[in-house]
Amino acid sequence: MTAGPPHPRLAAMLRDVQFWVPVAVLVVGLLVLAWIR
Amino acid sequence: MDPLAAGRLGRLQLVGVLSGFTAGAWLGAAEAPTKMVSLGISPVVISLAMVLGVFLARWSLPALLRGTAAVGADVRQAPHLVVWAVLAGCLWAVANTLTIFAIKDIGLSIAFPLWNANSLLGILWGALFFGELRGAGRARQLGVLGGALVMCVGAALLAFASSTQAPAGHPARGVVAALAAGALWGTMYIPYRKAYLTGMNPLSFVAFFTIGELGMMSALALGDRGGPAVLLAELGRARDVLFWLLLGGFVWVVGDLFQQYAAKYIGISRGIPLSNTNQLWGLAWGLLVFGELRGGTGTTYAQVVGGSLLMALGAAGIALASASEAEHRQWQESAAREGARYGVDPAYVRAALAGESAAPAQRRTWLDWLLVVTATAVFIALARVARVPHLALNWAAIVGLTAALVVLLAGTGLLLWRTTRFN
Repeated sequence: MTAGPPHPRLAAMLRDVQFWVPVAVLVVGLLVLAWIR
Repeated sequence: MDPLAAGRLGRLQLVGVLSGFTAGAWLGAAEAPTKMVSLGISPVVISLAMVLGVFLARWSLPALLRGTAAVGADVRQAPHLVVWAVLAGCLWAVANTLTIFAIKDIGLSIAFPLWNANSLLGILWGALFFGELRGAGRARQLGVLGGALVMCVGAALLAFASSTQAPAGHPARGVVAALAAGALWGTMYIPYRKAYLTGMNPLSFVAFFTIGELGMMSALALGDRGGPAVLLAELGRARDVLFWLLLGGFVWVVGDLFQQYAAKYIGISRGIPLSNTNQLWGLAWGLLVFGELRGGTGTTYAQVVGGSLLMALGAAGIALASASEAEHRQWQESAAREGARYGVDPAYVRAALAGESAAPAQRRTWLDWLLVVTATAVFIALARVARVPHLALNWAAIVGLTAALVVLLAGTGLLLWRTTRFN
């Protein structure tokens, strides 16, 4: 029996720049919020 | 992927442009119910109450229009997009909270144009990641970019005119907060566009978006108020105005749904600026219904007229610069790449980009009716304890503006249904 690669969607997601750009902007936004308060 | 017939592409572009304008009208009107709330409640709690209304609307409206079974079918086709939907909701909640602090620190007049620059960031992400404006030709590129810039100038003039608050003592902090809010809102459209290129229905996307939105907003409100007991007590004290806040959230969702369809059919580079016409509608409600700026100077009125004209001019430029067949082929290539990367059925991707559905229509279930009845019951219960403030309102203006909203909702909704069946 052959099995496909584990969690191919997860692997694709973690290699996707369109995932990391919003994550990075969210982190920056939270840091700004923490700094303001 | 086969190119779309010119006639079909033209109809989808028209639906997208009208959705953008309708979004602006409804998003702008969402401010009106919140003006019924007098001061004394924390801005973060006001924001949380609106998000609660948004949550109710975002689960009941999709249940009514398509059914939760259709939402489930969408998730089975592209489950990875749930992550992006939740991420987009988190981005919205943080941006919205930042705007509260920005207004407090530098006033609306400076803060609003700064975060309204989100449309320029949206154009950048659209071109960089999704092939927008590629192959569009110089005239169309100039129409979109020039239109967005002109709208930003118009927005700045309107914000100066409608500003009533003097800047406080933390200008640098306020500018950073406003710029960060713009960056978050501009980046929020990456998940939108990604979802719609892949084929997810906007009504499914917003259902998961709102989980991120409510989760992040609740966390921020808990952090701000110092714990659940304090937050719940404050929400309890505000129960006689919760209806107005939830109503504002509900009206906002109607606008946001049209914004989603605009992002889907004309892309984020055109959809965001058109939705940003909400500033014009918000000003119209403030001026005509609530009598704001009454007794203002000639300079103020000149700023209002000039800013409005510039915003209308920029929006018209963008609306006329619709995507050409060559540009749409770039969108199709981006969609095909997305589908291949995440193993999504090509027929599903192709059908969604053409405004069609690859699956048969789903029947409503008991869960759909339960969601609709629960949301309606919450609104009725809160309306029964709502306090109507003693405000001098111009009822003729309320009737006129509401009629305009209904006409836009019915007209664009009908066209959307006939052209795409809400796909």
